[in-house]
Amino acid sequence: MKILSLLAGLVFAATAQAQFRLPNIDINKMVDTVKNVGKAVKDIDEPEEIAIGKDVASRLLGAAPLVANPGMQRYVNNVGRWLAVQTERPDLPWQFGVLDSPNVNAFAVPGGTIFITRGLLERMRSEAELAGVLGHEIVHVLRKHHLKAIQKGAQSALAGDAAAAALRDRAGPARDKLIAFSTEMYSRGLDKSDELEADRLGVVIAARGGYDAYGLPSVLQTLQAMNAQDSALALMFKTHPAPAERLDSLSEKMQPVLDAYSSQPQLAERFVRQIKK
Amino acid sequence: MRILALLLLLPLLAAAEPATVIKPAELKQEPASDAATLATLPENTAVDALERKGGWTRVKAGAGEGWVRMLSLRLGGATTAKPGASGLTQAFNVARTGTSGTQATTGVRGLDAEQIANAQPNPAELAKLEKFAADRDAATSFASQGKLSPTSVAYPK
Repeated sequence: MKILSLLAGLVFAATAQAQFRLPNIDINKMVDTVKNVGKAVKDIDEPEEIAIGKDVASRLLGAAPLVANPGMQRYVNNVGRWLAVQTERPDLPWQFGVLDSPNVNAFAVPGGTIFITRGLLERMRSEAELAGVLGHEIVHVLRKHHLKAIQKGAQSALAGDAAAAALRDRAGPARDKLIAFSTEMYSRGLDKSDELEADRLGVVIAARGGYDAYGLPSVLQTLQAMNAQDSALALMFKTHPAPAERLDSLSEKMQPVLDAYSSQPQLAERFVRQIKK
Repeated sequence: MRILALLLLLPLLAAAEPATVIKPAELKQEPASDAATLATLPENTAVDALERKGGWTRVKAGAGEGWVRMLSLRLGGATTAKPGASGLTQAFNVARTGTSGTQATTGVRGLDAEQIANAQPNPAELAKLEKFAADRDAATSFASQGKLSPTSVAYPK
């Protein structure tokens, strides 16, 4: 009986192969490709993460340059670096930039580059609010949210071999494609769960830095009060959950932390001195 | 000197902002949960938000004034579109692209979806970005100037 079914299986397999066999498929090569993709996805080490990040940062700066205000740029770097020191990746080459755009947005690039737009900065009232937003972006880097999305997307955007080559060879055409794809990701956004996690942990990081933990909720409330049809908000609203949902989630899960660190400094005066002049 | 300091403070004393109570909220005499309760504001009460202290917002509600939990408020009036710059920008985008505001991603803002997707590298700006970075020591002394003390806070589970 067993032999019979085995035979039947063989016959079926042979038929199936005859039916579905395609010309010129090299099974060994296919297996290699699958292995390469698996390897490419798993093996992005820290230097590679930083290298990809620099290339992506350069492109984002091609979309909007830095605000020509060195004092403002240094101020935002001090706040951001101080927060980064409080985290599990304190020694990444952290750098923070204010992009010259009236759009309201902020971006985290793998390897420790964070951008915030002039439009968002202008709507803030204190250093604690800035710390809340930078804390949120820092979490994206710590938890490698974008890097994971890049890894996942690289498999479908590039053929298997090309994905591996793009990571191996920093000057080839596949590399360009990988970086273009990675940059484009910022116009599509992350998973909602990544954004809500960045909110929760961002509040913690701001509190660790000694700031009033209500900075981030306060910014979210400002965004909520803006006209949702304002085109300055279009991309941010497209790529993030609505402010009301983010506030609900924080209120539900983070109330104890928020309240425990709500009397820490807001540093509104220092912020105004540095940003609004 | 004192006048200068006052001027710097001006933007903080923001004008009263319309807000709506989104869940029943106790109006407290002080910004603390153990402070005396002056009234309970029902959902959808319209108030004016005056200032924030920690998790509390000082509001003017009818004849009374007091503090409610910041997260029980939604800032902004109940109305939809506001006039002003955003409206103008939208009109401009419509003129430019011939599409409605929501589709207007080809404006002049530099960081719309399409512009990000088509962005080309800018190594000169990248070099500037690196120049402005703060090292650990600089950031630490900046924090102590602001009297910020690092605190140990665990991530939520």
